[in-house]
Amino acid sequence: MNKIFGNKKNIALFVLPAFIIYFIFALVPIAYNFYISLFQTDLMSPGKFVGFQNYVNLFKDGTFLKALKNNVFMVIGSLIAHLPVALFLGNILFQKIKGSHFFQTVFFLPSVICGVAVGMIWTFVYNSEFGLLNRILEVIGLGDLQQVWLSNKEIALFCIIIVVMWQFVGYHMVIQLAAMKNIPDSLYEAAKIDGASKWVQFRSITFPLIKHILKIDAVLIITGSLKYYDLVAVMTGGGPNHSTELMSTYMYYQGFRTLKYGYSAAIGVILLLLCVCAVWLSNRIFKSEPIEY
Amino acid sequence: MRTSTREKTGFIIKFIILVIFAITCIYPLIWLVLNSFKTNDQLFENPWGLPKSFDIKNYIVAITEGNIGTYFINSVIIAVSAVLVTVVLSSMASYAISRMEWKYSKVMLNVFLLGMMIPVYATIIPLFSIFNRIGILNTHLSVIIPHIAFGFPMAIFILTGFFQTIPRDIEEAAVMDGCSIFRIFFRIIMPISKPSVVTVAVVVFIGVWNDLLMPQIFLTDATKMTLPVGLNSFKGMYSTDYVSMIAAVVLTVIPSVIIYIVLHKNIMEGMVAGAVKG
Repeated sequence: MNKIFGNKKNIALFVLPAFIIYFIFALVPIAYNFYISLFQTDLMSPGKFVGFQNYVNLFKDGTFLKALKNNVFMVIGSLIAHLPVALFLGNILFQKIKGSHFFQTVFFLPSVICGVAVGMIWTFVYNSEFGLLNRILEVIGLGDLQQVWLSNKEIALFCIIIVVMWQFVGYHMVIQLAAMKNIPDSLYEAAKIDGASKWVQFRSITFPLIKHILKIDAVLIITGSLKYYDLVAVMTGGGPNHSTELMSTYMYYQGFRTLKYGYSAAIGVILLLLCVCAVWLSNRIFKSEPIEY
Repeated sequence: MRTSTREKTGFIIKFIILVIFAITCIYPLIWLVLNSFKTNDQLFENPWGLPKSFDIKNYIVAITEGNIGTYFINSVIIAVSAVLVTVVLSSMASYAISRMEWKYSKVMLNVFLLGMMIPVYATIIPLFSIFNRIGILNTHLSVIIPHIAFGFPMAIFILTGFFQTIPRDIEEAAVMDGCSIFRIFFRIIMPISKPSVVTVAVVVFIGVWNDLLMPQIFLTDATKMTLPVGLNSFKGMYSTDYVSMIAAVVLTVIPSVIIYIVLHKNIMEGMVAGAVKG
């Protein structure tokens, strides 16, 4: 056994191809990205070393701060939709309702659809001339609420957050539902004998026992919200007047539209730091204690 | 039995909520398919109703004038190559990590899992620079390679989890019979790991198929673009020809929906497992 499974050459042959690709094209670029962020460069010539000037400029750049703020709204909107709402739906499906499997499959569906297509579908929904939303408002007699939804800079971001909620509610619901299904039935049987209502069962059994998954899910939601790109790129392109700009779209804009690669790389570094911080903080705050049923 | 009537109304309300939400999930897709058969005039007059006839004209426009056919083929080439390489290399690495005996296997696993935290944005500009220098910018390879690299963490997470559950006896018996490590891996381990391998394959496929960012940045030639980028530019070019755009969206979405219908169990499992790494 040991001769085959401890053979250094075999191990290297199996693990190195993946590791080399991963190292060169995922790990090295992170360090290189930080390096580029210290330069003013067009990537063709060596560029000018500017130290942390790009970072200083970023925090003076009104549009970047706007993007950062929009990302924070995105995080809050997603947390609202993907924790309480998903939990509510998940809890209904958990109660062995008829067609539970069917509903679960349907709710999950939007999260596997291409973000560009989702963005376009919703552009049609929000379209001011033939869009579904304006038609619905007209039919139910709220015609004066009709809008040019995505061109109104007061509400465009809100419209996009709604789409994010819609697209990923099912995904988070399935994560939470999977955790609920791990809870042994005997607990609920005992509760039923004691005459506990559904709400009491949820509050004192389900919720405490899936709390650890909710914490992980919250991290996912936060890091996910920092990474949204497609929807905004398709629906508004960051406009009107940067009102829906996110860090990701602004990074694309600075890097590949105005060709300020160093500046753009600095945004990448900040995004990475925010993601790492979210994970690290959650690990610090919620030292997940192993649960026993 | 007062409680039972109360429970019944509660049940009905819950059921209605589920049905309404299910409709909001499916209806946009049905709306798209129906409207893809209309003319632009019909769309404006009657965006709700059924199309007058099932005319595939819009699909023809999308494929011929909008180049959706080319984009589709590019998407298939990129997604399939990325899936194949990711699956083979990540299975091998996972096997070495979970079944072979060496000191740093745990460290190696953690280094790979770290990748789940990395947002691609933190690597996009350096990759652009590297690809530019080695001359593969604007080739399919420039999109395939980063997708492979970023597919590993999730793939290795799922596969090591599965390999750990395989009983040792199987390998021991194979060694007794004088099998080489490659034979054990490709002939015994891979076949019994099929469900996990399929899960990894579909999750990677969907990620690559749907991605907009990398092809948008690394590909500049219209003939090399993938569907999401193509759709995005289609929107700019034909922004008044809504029905052809709708047909193009349908063509983009159909493969993922079909794969989802067939393999939704694997997809849900994989996307959720990759997410909840604890």
